[in-house]
Amino acid sequence: MQSTKANYSEKLMQAVFYLSALISIIAVIAICLFLLLRGIPAIGEIGIMEFILNEKWKPTDYPPSYGILSMIVGSTYVTAGAIAIGVPIGLMCAVFLAKFCPDTVYKIAKPAVNLLAGIPSIVYGFFGMEVIVPFLRENFGGNGFSILSSSIILGIMILPTIISISESSIRSVPLSYEEGSLGLGATKEETVFKIVLPAAKSGVFTSIILGIGRAVGETMAVVMVAGNAVMPLDKIKLLKPIRTLTTNIVTEMSYASGLHEESLIATGVVLFVFIIILNTALSLIKTRDAKN
Amino acid sequence: MDVLRRRKTISLILKLTVWFCGILTVGILIYILLFILLRGVPKINMEFLFGEYNSDTLSAFSSVVTTIEMVIISLFISVPIGVFCAIYLTEYAKRGNKTVKVIRLAVDTLAGIPSIVFGLFGMILFVKLLGFRASVLSGICTLSIMILPLIISSSEEAIKSVPDMYREGSLGLGAGRLRTVFRIVLPTAMPGILSGIILAIGRIVGETAALIFTSGTNVLKNPTLDLMASQRTLAIHMYMLASEGLPHSKEMAFATGSILIIIVFLVNYTTTKLAGRIGRLSDE
Amino acid sequence: MRNRKLLFIIAAVLMLTLVFVGCAKEQPSEQPQPQQPVEQPQQPASNFDADKDITVVARDAASGTRGAFHEIMEIIQKEGDTTVDKLVVGALEFDGTDKVITAVEQDKYGIGYISLGSVSERIKAIEVNSVEPTIDNVKSGAYSVARPFLLVTKGTESDLVKDFLNFTESIEGQKIVNDRNFISAVDSPKEYTGSGLSGTIKVAGSTSVAPLMEKLQEEYNKLNPDVKFEMQANGSSQGINAAIDGSYDIGMSSRELKDEEAAQLNRHVLAIDGIAVIVNNENPTDDLAAEDITAIYTGEKTAWFEIE
Repeated sequence: MQSTKANYSEKLMQAVFYLSALISIIAVIAICLFLLLRGIPAIGEIGIMEFILNEKWKPTDYPPSYGILSMIVGSTYVTAGAIAIGVPIGLMCAVFLAKFCPDTVYKIAKPAVNLLAGIPSIVYGFFGMEVIVPFLRENFGGNGFSILSSSIILGIMILPTIISISESSIRSVPLSYEEGSLGLGATKEETVFKIVLPAAKSGVFTSIILGIGRAVGETMAVVMVAGNAVMPLDKIKLLKPIRTLTTNIVTEMSYASGLHEESLIATGVVLFVFIIILNTALSLIKTRDAKN
Repeated sequence: MDVLRRRKTISLILKLTVWFCGILTVGILIYILLFILLRGVPKINMEFLFGEYNSDTLSAFSSVVTTIEMVIISLFISVPIGVFCAIYLTEYAKRGNKTVKVIRLAVDTLAGIPSIVFGLFGMILFVKLLGFRASVLSGICTLSIMILPLIISSSEEAIKSVPDMYREGSLGLGAGRLRTVFRIVLPTAMPGILSGIILAIGRIVGETAALIFTSGTNVLKNPTLDLMASQRTLAIHMYMLASEGLPHSKEMAFATGSILIIIVFLVNYTTTKLAGRIGRLSDE
Repeated sequence: MRNRKLLFIIAAVLMLTLVFVGCAKEQPSEQPQPQQPVEQPQQPASNFDADKDITVVARDAASGTRGAFHEIMEIIQKEGDTTVDKLVVGALEFDGTDKVITAVEQDKYGIGYISLGSVSERIKAIEVNSVEPTIDNVKSGAYSVARPFLLVTKGTESDLVKDFLNFTESIEGQKIVNDRNFISAVDSPKEYTGSGLSGTIKVAGSTSVAPLMEKLQEEYNKLNPDVKFEMQANGSSQGINAAIDGSYDIGMSSRELKDEEAAQLNRHVLAIDGIAVIVNNENPTDDLAAEDITAIYTGEKTAWFEIE
C-alpha cells in the first residue's frame, strides 16, 4: 500500500523534474523565435551583407545606413581584452583559493570573491568612469574612454565567474591524483599546474565560456566607459573610444522606431549568433576532451 | 642538480604569482568598495532611505522595495525549476540520453545570452505581445528566465559532487530514489546550490540592461508592490542618477551605489552563514 | 611558521592597498575646494596644452538636445533630399546629460553641449559668437542656440490630461519653468485652481524635459492629490511615437516636430531652453564662433590651437 503510494509520488516528481528540465529548452526556443521574427525582416530589408559587412552606422541620416561591422569588431576586441586580463588572474586566484590559501585567509578571500560577483555592473561602470577613465587619460593619453578601459572593467567583472567555477572544479579533482604526483617527487606547484589543473579542464572551460558570455553581453558598465563612438575599422585603436553591439542597442533602443528599432533587434540577433557559435565551438572541444 | 634548481625556481615563481593574483583580487574589491562607500555613505540619510521620492530627495525607497520584490518573486519562480532541472539531469536521466544533451545545450546557451538580449526578448514578448506593458511583472518574467541557467549549472555541479557512496548507502538502506534525492543528495549539495542562488541574487540586484526596456525607468513617489506598475530597481535608479544631471544626482548615485553594495554584502553574508550551518548539519 | 610569514605578507599588502585607496580618496575631496572660490582669474591655462586633440563629446542620437544642436550648428547637413550627420569620427556619445558633464569636467580638452538649465560650476559654459548663454539672451533671441520643450498629445485626451496641460501653461506652472532656469514660452498665463480630478497620467519622452516635468508633477499633485503619474524618460522620439500610438497620454520632446509628426499631434510649447556649449574649467577659451563649433564637431578642426 505504502509502496504504491511512494511509487506514485516517485512517478509524479519524475514528471515534474522532466518538465522543469524542458523549460530551459522552451525558453531558448522562445528567445530565438521572437528575436528572429523581429530581427530577420530588418536584416532582409537592409541586406545581410550590407548589415554585417558595412562599417557605416548612420540610422538618422537620410538615406540611412545600417552597418554594424564596426560594432562586431568592437565587441570582439573588448571581449578579447577582458579575457586577456581576467582569465589569467582569475585562474591563478582560483588555484590560490583551492590549493595555496591558508584557512584564515580563505575565510576572507572567498567571501570577497562572492562579493565581487555580487557588485552590480552599474557600480563597476560608475567606478570605471570615475577612476579608470581618468587614470588612463592621465597616464596613457587619449581621452580615457577606450577599448582598454572597457577591457579592464570587464576583466575585473568576469573574475568572480572564472574564480568560483574554476575553484570548485579544481577542488573536485580526486586527491589521489595529487598524492600520486607528490609521491613521485614533484613539487606542490608542479603538481597543481601539471596534474590538477589539466584534470579540472572542463570546469575551467565552463568558467571561461561564462566569462566570455558576461563580457560580450555586458552593457551598462561598458556604456559608461567605452565612449560609444562608431569607429571606422582603420581607426580602431586600443586607446580610442569604441561602440560594441550591446551599447549600440542600449543607447539607441529607447528612441528608435521602424526599421531602426528592428535593426537594433537584429543587432541582438547577431549577438545571439555570436554566443551560439562560441558555445558550439567550446562544446566540441569538451566532447573531444571527454573522448580522449 | 641544475634541473632541480630550475624546477624549484619555477615553482617559487608560480607560487608567488598565485599569491599575487589572490591578493590582487581582494585588493581590487577593497578599492572599489572603499571608493564607493567613502563617498556614498556620508550622503545617505533618512530622507534618502525612507522618504518620498522627489527631485530634491531623490529617495531610493521605492526602488529598494521594488528590487526586493523582484528578487523574491524571481527566485520563487526560478529556484524550484532550476534545482528540479538539475536533479533530472544528474539523478534521473539515463547516460547518453538525447534529451539531456539538448537540455545541456539549452542551458549553456541561456547562460551565454547577454542580459541586453533578454531585455530585447522581454520587451518583444512580455511588454508588447503579452501586453504586460513596461511593468514590474515584465521585469520579473525576464529575470526569472535569465537566472535559470545560473541556478541549474551550480546545482548540477553541486549535486554531481555528492559522492555516489551516499546514494548507494541510502538506497541500500531501502530508501526510495525520491527520498534519497531530498534527504541525502540535496542537503549535501546545498552549499553549492546556495552559492548559485547568491550569484543569482547578485545578478538580479545589479541588473540594469534587461530591465530598462521591461520594467522601465519610471520612479514612483512611494513604494508599491503592484506588479503592473512601472517602477525602477535600485540599479536603474543609480544609472538614471548617473545620467540625469540634476544638481546633486551624482552624489546620490554614490549613495545608491553604497546601498547596493550593502545589500549585496548582507545577502552574501547571510547565505554563507546559512550554507555553513546546513553543511554542518548534513555532516552530523 | 612559514604560513605565519605569508600571512604577514598578505596583511602588509592589504594595508598598502588601503593606504593607496586612502590617498586616492583624498584627491577628489580636495579638488572641489580650490575650484569654488577661485573660478577663472587664477586659473589661466597654466597646464593647458593647446596642441592636444579636442575631446568632442556629443549626445546619443536619441537625444532632442543632439537633434536641435546638430541642426542649429549645421552639423547635420542637407544636400538635396539626403541628410547627413557629419559628427566627427571618434566623438564620444553619451545617453545622459550628467555623463556629458562628467566627461567634460574630467577632461581638460573636452567640449560638450547640455541644456542651459543643467549648467553648474563643474564646467564652464562659453559664449557663442560673443553672446553669453543667459536666460535674457535666449529670450531676446540674441543667443541663437535654443530649442523648444514641447508637450504633445494626440488630441483625444481626457479632461484630466487637459487639466494638467492647462496647469503647465498657467502662472503656477510657468513659475516652475522660470525657477528651473528655463524660459517661459506662454504669453499671458492664466491662474490655475485645483480641479479635484483623479486618475493616472502617463508621460514619456525627452530626458531633458523630464526633470522639469517631475517638478511640475509634484506641484500639480499638491493641488490635485488624487492624480498619479507614470513617467518614462526615454528620449524625444520615443515620447512622440508613444503619443502618436496612444500608449502614453503626453509625449515630451526637446526638439521641433517633423512634419509628418506634427500632422498627427497637438503641440504645446512648455518652455524654451538654451543649449549651452561647455568646456573644462581649465580651458582658457571663453568664446567660440558658431563656425568654429561646427568645425570642431565635424572634425575640420581637431586641436585647440586651431581655434582663433
